[in-house]
Amino acid sequence: MNMTDAWLLPLLPAAAFVALTLLGPWLPRKGDWLAVGAIATVFVMVLLIAADFTDALAAHGEEFAGAANSTQWLEVPGQLELRLGVHVDATTIVMLTVVSFVALMVQVYSLGYMKGDSRYGWYYAVISLFVASMLALVLADNFLLLYFAWELVGVCSYLLIGHYNHLRSAAEAAKKAFITTRLGDVGLLIAIILLWRATGTFNIQEVIAAAEAGEVGREVLTASVVLLFLGAMGKSAQFPFHVWLPDAMEGPTPVSALIHAATMVVAGVYLVTRTLPLFQLVHGGPELILAVGLLTTFMSATMGLVMTDIKKVIAYSTINSLGLMFVALGVGAPAAAMLYLFTHAFFKALLFLGAGSVIHATERQDVSSLGGLWSKMPITCVTFAVGALSMAGLPILAGFWAKDEILVALLDNKAAFALAMATVPLTAMYMARVLILTFFGDPKEPESHEHAHEGSPFIFVPLVLLAVLTVFAGFVAFDQVGELMGFPGGIGEIIFLGHPHAFHFDWNVAIGSSALVLAGLAAGWFAWAARPSVPGVCLSMLRPVHALFANKYYLDDIYQAAIDRVVLSIARLVAWFDRNAVNDTGIDGGGYTAKFAGYLMKFQQTGKMPNYALGMVIGVVALTLVAFTLKG
Amino acid sequence: MQSGYILLATIAVPLFAAVALLFVPSRHKDAIRAFSVAVGFALFGLSLYAFFAYQLSQVEQYQFDMRWMWIENVGILGENGITLHLGIDGIGAAMLLLTGIVTFAGTLISAKIDYRNKDYFILLFLLVAGVFGVFASLDLFFWFFFYELAVLPMYLLIAVWGSSSVFSTFARTKEYSAMKLTMVLVGASVLIFIGIFAVFVEAGLGTFDLPTLYEVEFDENFQKIIFPLFMLGCGVLAGLWPFHTWSPDGHVAAPTAVSMLHAGVLMKLGAFGIIRLGMQLLPEGAEFWMPVLIILGTINVLYGAISAMAQTDFKYMVGYSSVSHMGYVLMGLATMNAVGVNGAVLQMFSHGVMTALMFAMVGSLYDQAHTRELAAFGGLVKRMPHFVAFFSIAGLASLGLPGFSGFVAEFNIFLGVFRTYPALGALGILGAAITAVYILRMMARAFFGPENDKWESLQDLSRVEYAGGAVLIAFIILMGVYPSPFVDRIADSVLRIPGIG
Repeated sequence: MNMTDAWLLPLLPAAAFVALTLLGPWLPRKGDWLAVGAIATVFVMVLLIAADFTDALAAHGEEFAGAANSTQWLEVPGQLELRLGVHVDATTIVMLTVVSFVALMVQVYSLGYMKGDSRYGWYYAVISLFVASMLALVLADNFLLLYFAWELVGVCSYLLIGHYNHLRSAAEAAKKAFITTRLGDVGLLIAIILLWRATGTFNIQEVIAAAEAGEVGREVLTASVVLLFLGAMGKSAQFPFHVWLPDAMEGPTPVSALIHAATMVVAGVYLVTRTLPLFQLVHGGPELILAVGLLTTFMSATMGLVMTDIKKVIAYSTINSLGLMFVALGVGAPAAAMLYLFTHAFFKALLFLGAGSVIHATERQDVSSLGGLWSKMPITCVTFAVGALSMAGLPILAGFWAKDEILVALLDNKAAFALAMATVPLTAMYMARVLILTFFGDPKEPESHEHAHEGSPFIFVPLVLLAVLTVFAGFVAFDQVGELMGFPGGIGEIIFLGHPHAFHFDWNVAIGSSALVLAGLAAGWFAWAARPSVPGVCLSMLRPVHALFANKYYLDDIYQAAIDRVVLSIARLVAWFDRNAVNDTGIDGGGYTAKFAGYLMKFQQTGKMPNYALGMVIGVVALTLVAFTLKG
Repeated sequence: MQSGYILLATIAVPLFAAVALLFVPSRHKDAIRAFSVAVGFALFGLSLYAFFAYQLSQVEQYQFDMRWMWIENVGILGENGITLHLGIDGIGAAMLLLTGIVTFAGTLISAKIDYRNKDYFILLFLLVAGVFGVFASLDLFFWFFFYELAVLPMYLLIAVWGSSSVFSTFARTKEYSAMKLTMVLVGASVLIFIGIFAVFVEAGLGTFDLPTLYEVEFDENFQKIIFPLFMLGCGVLAGLWPFHTWSPDGHVAAPTAVSMLHAGVLMKLGAFGIIRLGMQLLPEGAEFWMPVLIILGTINVLYGAISAMAQTDFKYMVGYSSVSHMGYVLMGLATMNAVGVNGAVLQMFSHGVMTALMFAMVGSLYDQAHTRELAAFGGLVKRMPHFVAFFSIAGLASLGLPGFSGFVAEFNIFLGVFRTYPALGALGILGAAITAVYILRMMARAFFGPENDKWESLQDLSRVEYAGGAVLIAFIILMGVYPSPFVDRIADSVLRIPGIG
């Protein structure tokens, strides 16, 4: 399996999608085995390609830029050539691994979770297309294919978020996700075309090379970068585009795991990682990413603190993490962002699948009706705890290494460092809260607690696998671990985009952040386990603040009002104008004018001889006068 | 083997079918249906053959070239005075295929028609013959003749088989809509008529033969004066703002298959006319006036999309979305560069199949529910899963989702527009986002959510509707995934249009 064969990867699940869509009802088990088989094959192929990549890296050294392969898609001779192609480099390998592994786990898990769903076959079809699109997105060597896949990712998430389509809320959430991200995509598409206009190519590497050579004007480049970032913000749910992500929890829980860990929201992070050189060429470009990332990470942490839906808490934790990845990109540490993305995929998938296991068992997802589940669901409890603590950033778990890597990168920027540090205990606190309220304390609804139990092996085996990875995945940062696993030079070389010694460990930061994590966890334990009266007291003291957080800073309401009051009013005005002014006055007016002219003319037809005779006389006289005047 | 008889057949088959139907007693409704669908299928086959038999490597511009003398060397007419000269370039080939597809799907959908279906099919086939004639004609006289033949049967089709709409604030009777559509289009064709005669006289060759006239270099001032006649005259049929209002009202009032043909194919005649008569005959005039057209086109896109957002009626929404999408065609043509014009022709094809699909689906719903009020529906997906799937595909294609034809077309148009007018290009892309808003609102409102008990009796697509829709979808996806067969034919011909750079 060569790197240049990577174009096969998206085609396999895409073929599964086609087969399931056309033949689904006639296949045994609605064809789920086809989808799972396709993604399992893809995972194996990704490992082979990764091996090929490390071989090439060892052979060529650090200059190795990756392998590409493309084919023509459309050509206007001499004017335009659109190609579809793949490009494999270190970033791609990391993304491929994450996407294919998480997708495999989610699909296996869904065998149990989605069993008996009325649209089981369709679910597997769309999820296959979803994975195929994401694989194409990370493999794309040019902006056209990237945009192509980017939009398909969007529509698949639309279909999956709206999977329970008999619910009004699911239909609205799906719509909201698609429209919000698509507004960002307007920016992305304009940016792609502007860059093409300036450089004459869609190839990402060539565009970057041309921009670095100064072929793109400063204004154009600035505009492109800002617009490009809009697209990334939409997909990666950055403030103020983040509103769709919590609502997207309407989809089946395994879908949430997939969207959050691998196939949707990390696309924005990936895009910015790929195009980071462009941002760095623009004055204020990195600062823009940093500012948006910091704002997002802090605000999401505050909102996560007050949500009562187990999935929504995790959703805000994702926004929190995404913000952190953008922070890393903003200070020019893509390696740290990729390490975070890599480890985040495991613990975020784990958290969602754990939450799904709880929901599956209890049919409840509000923490105020859960509690005490540890005795009924020990596996889910332990694995969820591992995920939550990793998200909080507790040492040696995967999240810790990645988070610290980002914090170290921030050391030069005191304000950013302080804000990021301030978010650390908040994150720890709300993760502790959701863990405690779900699994510990007294069951709030004894009846549903009574029936709770672990799910089938399809459900808990992926949980255990992901938990194991969440414990150990962070160690890839150390070269020795990678070498033990058979990668010459360690996996760090891949994760760190070919810079093997980029991993910075700082004891001071590690100790400081760990102390904050422990403080946050302790505060969480104190407030929700030891002194359950504390949250109530705080609530009564800080009611306006709580309302602000719980209402998501009122952004949803503002957007809704803007749509209802402004956009739709304008639309109605235009429609009214079209009907009354353009049509009834303009077009019909033409008709009425002709009709009225006819009405006036008809009075000439009196039927009386003398009138006609008079007319003739006047006519003759007038013509004679004209003739004489002209002659004279 | 290439033969002009193929093109003649696409015109003659529907004409003979219309004549043959005259002799069938009108009580044999099923026989009439079967015969008409068979004719539709034959036309589909013919157009498909013409499309794929079109030689990509050919040197000459027009293929299937054939000429039948009608009048020459009489009075003002000189050699080759008026001839039935048929031939297609790549643009014509794509349009011919579009007509074949939509005609076939339209006859399938029309199998539902029960009221005087013999008369209905006679008029429908006259219209279809006219459309094929326009796309294949290389003679100004016959071009205009077929153009009128395509427009006039609409009046009866709408006024007899159409439906009136009554809303709380306004009403549109089918007679009003039919009259307005016909009057506006005939009025616009007067401009084309004047233009044709001006060209004939100015050239002074005594011929209406287009390839001969293309050789003539007209005076620059003449071109500047005459081009707007073609631009407006043909533009009105393409839904040009502010002369577009016949389109939503007419399409809403028309019976399903007529809406499909009209929005799907007839509006393309207008855009095709701008290319064939305007840009090819009068390139300098085109260059002078295109900045105006691109602004009008941009208005079309945004104005149509915003109006569509405010509609409360399924069919009006689709009607205004056509106004919006035809705006992209006008924008693409107005770029005067190969990429943009190529995109415009792709969009003509893409919008044709897509809007035909939308109208077919709206018709399927209306025939059962007898209302098109968006707010009256909800949760349709439960009773009508195929309907929802088909309509959603049309909707997603229209908002420019990659993988469907709309994206390929709009992407080319945007590239072309950005070359010369980046700001307008950005507005065009914004228009695609507005499209997403109204399409997705419609889908969320009517297709998903809790089911409305009132609609328990609704049936999913019938077999003919399913077949018609599937044919259209096949081409939406084919062009979206593998556009080369279309682009290879179109781009080559676009590059031959004078003034295209």
